[in-house]
Amino acid sequence: MNKTFAIAKWEFMEKIKTKAFLISMIITPIIIITYALLPTILSDSQESGTKLVGVLDPSNIYFKGINNRVSQFKLSNNIPAYLLVNLTKDRNLDSLEKRADREVLRSKIASYLLIKNGGTDSVKIELRSKSTANFKDVKNFEQAFNETRINLQLKKKGIDTSLMRMINSNVNLKAIKINKEGKATESDFLIVFFSSFIFIILLMLMILSSGGMLIRSLLEEKSNRLIEILVSSCTPSQLLGGKILGLSALGLFQIAIWALMGIVLVGSSAVTLETFENIPLLLIYFILGYVFYTAIFVGVGSIVSTEQEAQQITSYMSMILILPIVFAITTIQEPNSNFVHILSYFPLTTPSIMLLRLNASTVPISEIIITLSILILSILIMIIISSKIFRIGILSYGKRPSLRELYRWVKEK
Amino acid sequence: MLEIRNLVKEYKNVTAVNDISFNIEPGKIFGLLGPNGAGKTTTIRTILNIIKPTSGLITLDGNSITEDFYNLIGYLPEDRGLYKKSKVIDVILYFSSLKSIDKKEALKRVSYWLSELNIEEYKYKKIEELSKGNQQKIQFITAVLHDPKILILDEPFSGFDPINQQLIKEQILNFASSGKIIVLSTHQMDTAEKLCSDILLLNNGKEVCKGNLAKIKKEFGTNNIKIEFDGDASFLNELDDVKSIDVYSTYAEIHLVQNIKPAEFLRKISDRLLISHFSVIEPTLNTIFLDVIKSTK
Repeated sequence: MNKTFAIAKWEFMEKIKTKAFLISMIITPIIIITYALLPTILSDSQESGTKLVGVLDPSNIYFKGINNRVSQFKLSNNIPAYLLVNLTKDRNLDSLEKRADREVLRSKIASYLLIKNGGTDSVKIELRSKSTANFKDVKNFEQAFNETRINLQLKKKGIDTSLMRMINSNVNLKAIKINKEGKATESDFLIVFFSSFIFIILLMLMILSSGGMLIRSLLEEKSNRLIEILVSSCTPSQLLGGKILGLSALGLFQIAIWALMGIVLVGSSAVTLETFENIPLLLIYFILGYVFYTAIFVGVGSIVSTEQEAQQITSYMSMILILPIVFAITTIQEPNSNFVHILSYFPLTTPSIMLLRLNASTVPISEIIITLSILILSILIMIIISSKIFRIGILSYGKRPSLRELYRWVKEK
Repeated sequence: MLEIRNLVKEYKNVTAVNDISFNIEPGKIFGLLGPNGAGKTTTIRTILNIIKPTSGLITLDGNSITEDFYNLIGYLPEDRGLYKKSKVIDVILYFSSLKSIDKKEALKRVSYWLSELNIEEYKYKKIEELSKGNQQKIQFITAVLHDPKILILDEPFSGFDPINQQLIKEQILNFASSGKIIVLSTHQMDTAEKLCSDILLLNNGKEVCKGNLAKIKKEFGTNNIKIEFDGDASFLNELDDVKSIDVYSTYAEIHLVQNIKPAEFLRKISDRLLISHFSVIEPTLNTIFLDVIKSTK
């Protein structure tokens, strides 16, 4: 056991001193933060100023209404979002349309609203601009036109237009998630999605980076025959156990540093702890998932003997790791579907799927116990298989063993 | 005493080691010799408990090998290499911790060995900053720091200059005189000849020659001569009287066929070659090696 700790300590101390580790520790959160903020920054920057929008309405009945409605849309600094120009003059529609198109192309106006067959039941509207219009603009103008049209119709029939406000005042449905203690929290799909997603991405990145490190260090020890000195000093199981332990400690250390960085950078108040009420449980799944994959990496890593093979195997492994991300949306939308249940019992996807489910819905305690047992059992089985492969793999060079040979290694006593 | 009994190691379709047995007494240096692929490394790995033999028995002082054995054995592998990015002191301490030496004691021994091998100034340097020879010295230290009972050295002199070879040789002889069991595996027959008292010569996994070196030499016969000459000696190769020959530019060592008298042979060649020196010698280990391997082919 002492030797296992000696190996774990060595793996931890030597890896922590490397530049690669330092860089990944700093770069990874930067990448995550950038990905999280970029879409917001990009969509905000589009609302930089008031847009000049033309209205071409040969029927000449909608302009005033639309103008009134549109003037209610404001930018963040309280300046109007749109300024409307009436492009309708006494000319035929074709030439007006051509002229308006030209103005858009010359960037005199941002876009224009074309209303065909105004006043009839077959009315059609188009928002024409140089590029595909911003979906927000489309939504705003659609709303403005429809309200105007309905208002006109109501007025014609002599009905009070204030009715319109009532019709429009939507009552929003709030999604409430009930916890076992009977406490209710408001759950927003996006918040749940991103907060759990970050956990899974973190898990994936850490497994990949430390798995890669593990394979590379095994490769180094194999290629300069250090492995022979190691296994003439301790049993292969001690070596394997030490490596798994050391790397897991390294992974936890990394998470701790990231968490600290997050608290310092964002401020603890900004972290919506409510979405992470299951933190201890989430951490257990996270750590078990990490150990499980590390055990796989050790077994797989011991059979490679060149850098190319190592890269190939790392890329196969990342394909398996990406699998849960593919199912992430389904899991959050339908956390109780049969498909998701099956995935939670399949050890390769158990950690990620359970991370998602715990955030998205309340998981029965029985399921938590079952999935945790499956995961722990798979870790034990994986360590036994891996150590058998490891024992022979670390001493064989050259040709990569076939699956049949691997099976023979595992069976060998 | 380290005893190896009827050791066999079979892989899928090759028998790497085929029924070999030998004993090594404490204080003796045992030469494990043979051409490439003879089964030396497999034998060593079995003694090290890295691989399990198909059959056979390895015992130390009558006890079979257990996990405690790991701390009693020191190993210097043929292919050298250490953690290049790590510091000398860290690497040595890591390996000593794997041999269950406590840190305080290990630090004392590190200082002793670094000064013994004249590399004190590299204690806090990274391995990659050291010359190849100095890296080999560090590797030697990792093999002996825990004061092992059994020391297995695979080509310990390769990569060293003559001065350092001398230095390492003295250390090995010191270990022998302090009663350790030493296995020396090498291709350098002259070193093996100088250091080893007993040898085992392997070829294709089988024993071809083993026992006390002096005895082996005696049994090998007295039909060995050394000549120093001037002229073209290439014709010697084709003579029927010659069993094997080792020709250099101005001298040759010749093993004659059993019934040929050295004097007779000298008369035969003296008219074709200007001979300045002629002597009957003990066969060298090199000659024995070449002869035995050739005859088993």
